[in-house]
Amino acid sequence: MFQVSQVLNILQVAAFLGVVATGQTLALLAGGIDLSVAGVVTMANIVSTGLMAGRDGNMFIAVGTCILVAAVVGLINGLMITIVRVAPLIATLGMNSFLFGAALVYTNGAPHGGIAPGFAFFGQGHLMAFPISTVCWLVVALTIAWITRRTVFGRQLYAVGASATAAQMMGIPARRIVIVAYILSSVMAVLGGLLITSYIGSPSLGIGDQFLLSSIAATIVGGTALTGGIGSIVGTIGGTIFVTELNSFTNIVRVSTALNSLLQGVVIALSVLLYRFVGVSRTSLTPQ
Amino acid sequence: MENQNYPGRYSRRQAIKFGATALGLGAFARAFPASADDIISKAKIVPVGETVSGAKYKKAGPFRIGFSNGFSGNTWRTECLYALKKEAGQHKEISDLIVVDGQGDIAKQVNDIENLVSQNVDAILCIPNSGSAVAPALRDATKQGVVTVPFNLPIDGEAWTAYTGTDPQKKGFELGKWLRGALGDTGKIVALGGLPGNSYTAAAWAGAQKAMEGSKIQVLAFKDASWEEDKAKVIMADLIAAYPQIDGVWCDGSQDAAGAMKALMDAKRPLVPVCGDDYNGLLKLYDQQKANYPKFNIGLLSEPSWESVVALHIALKLLNGEEVPKRQIIEPQLITSENYKKYLRADLPDGVFVDTDLTDDELKALFKS
Repeated sequence: MFQVSQVLNILQVAAFLGVVATGQTLALLAGGIDLSVAGVVTMANIVSTGLMAGRDGNMFIAVGTCILVAAVVGLINGLMITIVRVAPLIATLGMNSFLFGAALVYTNGAPHGGIAPGFAFFGQGHLMAFPISTVCWLVVALTIAWITRRTVFGRQLYAVGASATAAQMMGIPARRIVIVAYILSSVMAVLGGLLITSYIGSPSLGIGDQFLLSSIAATIVGGTALTGGIGSIVGTIGGTIFVTELNSFTNIVRVSTALNSLLQGVVIALSVLLYRFVGVSRTSLTPQ
Repeated sequence: MENQNYPGRYSRRQAIKFGATALGLGAFARAFPASADDIISKAKIVPVGETVSGAKYKKAGPFRIGFSNGFSGNTWRTECLYALKKEAGQHKEISDLIVVDGQGDIAKQVNDIENLVSQNVDAILCIPNSGSAVAPALRDATKQGVVTVPFNLPIDGEAWTAYTGTDPQKKGFELGKWLRGALGDTGKIVALGGLPGNSYTAAAWAGAQKAMEGSKIQVLAFKDASWEEDKAKVIMADLIAAYPQIDGVWCDGSQDAAGAMKALMDAKRPLVPVCGDDYNGLLKLYDQQKANYPKFNIGLLSEPSWESVVALHIALKLLNGEEVPKRQIIEPQLITSENYKKYLRADLPDGVFVDTDLTDDELKALFKS
């Protein structure tokens, strides 16, 4: 159905969502949810373009600052959830609102600046026709996939997500695991924000909004459970491509925006139901 | 005399001095007497319909003015609010300007308007988040003797005191007419609009379609791009991959237009005629790329950020017992390849909307450049 150019275009655009959804997967695996990713993406866009101000020399300080701020945001999210015992939904939604307000205060509603010319390579460049943004996404996602599957931290993350109490009784530092998951989620969101900033080149106060629900949709469609402890980063890669392809498809076909949304909602719901059905079938076939 | 800071372009004040009278700005000057000299766009303000008597609203000052802003998350709104605060500061008869932000939420804006009434404001200026849902709150405020002046975005009914803004259908028609001419009456186009379901884009696109009736222009797709560069670029990239030939792009906002052109550049496709509004990012892009792409052309109609000042003047006139037209429609002049340099602000960020009454220094301070 799609030409090569369309596939490459989808992969290029999917990278932004893919990196953010990678972090969202970690938050969901830990038994929580991260609604602050939209604010973090906007923060990355505003801070990076403001600090770069179109000069290559400012690139590293801008990227470094964004990652540092994201780590602090993730740390605060994690502390609010584990120490203050605020529900993840409330804590991260509050942080999202705070970050949007901070962006408004920082810019006074009039964002300025632009990316460094050299920074455009990450969002707009190609390596033998393959988008660099996609390469960045796959490197980040596969690294995190390896961490979740092959390291002690990864196994502990699944255990805490399945049951924090049981994990704690087994001697797993559940609080620390959750805090690290939220820090990684924020850092992933900032990396996604930097990639889309590189793609677009200029500041925009509304740039992060699109990731709030789409990052959760991509993660859920990829098979990660909202209840925690079940799912995979590789599944999220598939979910991201699916959601982006669906968006792309509805952009191309001649339907109204209303029908677009309707179609997307139905297809996502059906895909989750199908996944559940297949998942249940497999479980029932597995010897107990 | 040319502006010393920017050779080749005239300051707003100079521009208006040259042509204000000849351009028939009588109606404009009546509604906007204090700042007419500061306007670059040579816009006309056309009274429409009946007049409203200020007799029943007349009262002694000082006045408390409320402004219910639908949301404040873009640079147009920032310039609009700055212009309003600046103007209010110049009127000694205004004791308070109370600004409330609806944060894009219709229910919050309705509540904001009710709160303004309870704070005993004399007039409420309003950019409605919804033309239908906010109208009843304005109706109730009007019934309680408050002067209500919605502006910028369309509002349903007549249960408010007076309105000012552009006519989106007429703007859409003019932009469609320009695009039709730029394409020589034939070609394949795509159209990008604003937020999904917004009434402004719906009216503008209806006007554009009417302008293209009878031509050989084929509309490949119409998509909502939320007036955001990033969304427009992503959508346009999809459309580019799907359609090998795109000869022109119709937009009702130039953030969409800039995003669409950047997508064409990324795809190594030539830039094409595009329409939109007075977003500086598109003017800068046109200035940088016009030599590289012979078919690249622009036709733009501004959405003046000084509409808030016109709305304030309307409210003050009514509170002083004067008559005003029920509707005052702002009609800006077309910005094209011929005159764009007068509007271009190469020294300011992309996000600036150039049809503003703010001075260069104020814009620089606002955008911290």
